[in-house]
Amino acid sequence: MDAVLYHGEPNGASLTVLAALVESGLDTPCQPIDLLGGARHKLPGIAEPLAIDLGIEGEGPVLVVNGEAMTESVFLAQYLDELAGGCGLQPDDPYAHWEMLMWCRQITERLSPAAALLGNLANSQASIAAIPADDFAALSASVVSDDLRARWQALHDGAVDAAHVADSEAKVDQAAARCEDKLADGREFLMGDFSIADLVTYSWLAGMELIRPESFVAAPLTAAWLARVAARPCVVAALALANHAEPLRSWAPGPEINRWG
Amino acid sequence: MTDVTLYHWEPNANSGKPMLALMEKGVPFASHYIDMLQFDQHKPEYLAVNPQGTIPAMTYGSRVLTESTAIMEYVNAAFAGPELMPADAQDAWRVRWWMKFMDQWLGPSFSMIGWSVFVGPMVRKRDPEELAAAIDRIPLPERRVAWRKAINGDFSESEMAESRRRVALGIAKLEEELGKRDYVGSDAYSLADINIFNSTYSLPLSQPDLASREKTPNIMRWLKRVYERDAVKRTWAMGKTDLAARYSLVMEGIV
Repeated sequence: MDAVLYHGEPNGASLTVLAALVESGLDTPCQPIDLLGGARHKLPGIAEPLAIDLGIEGEGPVLVVNGEAMTESVFLAQYLDELAGGCGLQPDDPYAHWEMLMWCRQITERLSPAAALLGNLANSQASIAAIPADDFAALSASVVSDDLRARWQALHDGAVDAAHVADSEAKVDQAAARCEDKLADGREFLMGDFSIADLVTYSWLAGMELIRPESFVAAPLTAAWLARVAARPCVVAALALANHAEPLRSWAPGPEINRWG
Repeated sequence: MTDVTLYHWEPNANSGKPMLALMEKGVPFASHYIDMLQFDQHKPEYLAVNPQGTIPAMTYGSRVLTESTAIMEYVNAAFAGPELMPADAQDAWRVRWWMKFMDQWLGPSFSMIGWSVFVGPMVRKRDPEELAAAIDRIPLPERRVAWRKAINGDFSESEMAESRRRVALGIAKLEEELGKRDYVGSDAYSLADINIFNSTYSLPLSQPDLASREKTPNIMRWLKRVYERDAVKRTWAMGKTDLAARYSLVMEGIV
């Protein structure tokens, strides 16, 4: 099997997949790419690009297997777990598995777009805005997805929708509160045992401690859980791949804010 | 007797997914019809089952499961019967990818168009005060916004244009996919087919300029194969509105 994982800095979607790959024990080669340079849209050797062209998650990692681009961090984590014959990242019990999927979907639908918006505004908008016009035009032209291109353009233009920012801050608050509720019974990890739910939640929430600390003021259990996840060997190994001094401040355009409001 | 109860509307879009998955697996279930157009899903009897007021919901013993795609995955894993997820990990990834693409990107566009031309006009005939009270009972704020837009016809021209763009692009990509593989995401019938069929079965009627024998032969071949499944016929027989009649019209057109 011919496979390579192209990834950004270990934060957001890239962090989930890098940590899952470490946990799986698979020896898939990893190739860091410059997401803010548009490298994800110029990857070599892709015969089936659909998952990049119409991916939901924005500038997440791309696993290329036998010429097919594979995206969406939760599904890539599931794929790696299953390819390894089950490395313990997914519960075996169908109901527990349903609970994990429901949790992950809440995170990817509600927290991820919110965290990506706030993270980009705080940490990457200035550098996207500073891309020279010709270079930005070339980058923009390489993005096949119209809606992802629009999110790049908004950051380049410095367009800020105050309602989206307020909604995103509320969604980060809600995510921290949901974690706090889940952890209230003293469990060590979100689903009890360590799972993809911890990886995906940590990957989008950990950076929010830096940008929106008020979300965590009334969430001591969540802060302690973030520290436990950060200490997991697979997360330590993924974070060690960073080129950025503070990978949790590294963001690239993410998923879209729900069109229905 | 059965331990499984499904609360659902028509065998269509989200409600149709767990109905079809249960039928394919051969799992008997008690059917509890929720009339979405009468706002049954926001009434106290149903909120006692699913406080979020979304349909479908499934109860199994003392457990309540929600979210149609996640319910399907549960049904496939929890019950004996034909396997509806591919054994190959990359095929399974592709099945999940297509379901997310439908659930989060293409489906909301189908539904914005459907609500604007079908659901909105249907419920708009009611007493405005009754409607306002019904909307106030919706537990999820996002759903309140969506219902208000549908009822008031508040979708902007740019929102509708974007939904039409996504529908046209999504249909074109589905056509390409079904040119590569027999079914969506793999060469065997799976949850992705159930998911996507439930939102595309009426395309030849609703979007004849985008989906037809001439324009999308792969989709038409696939629709015909899915239509002919026994589980699909038995599920469609549970429909109560003219959506079921549309099904037979499409059948006549493509078979």
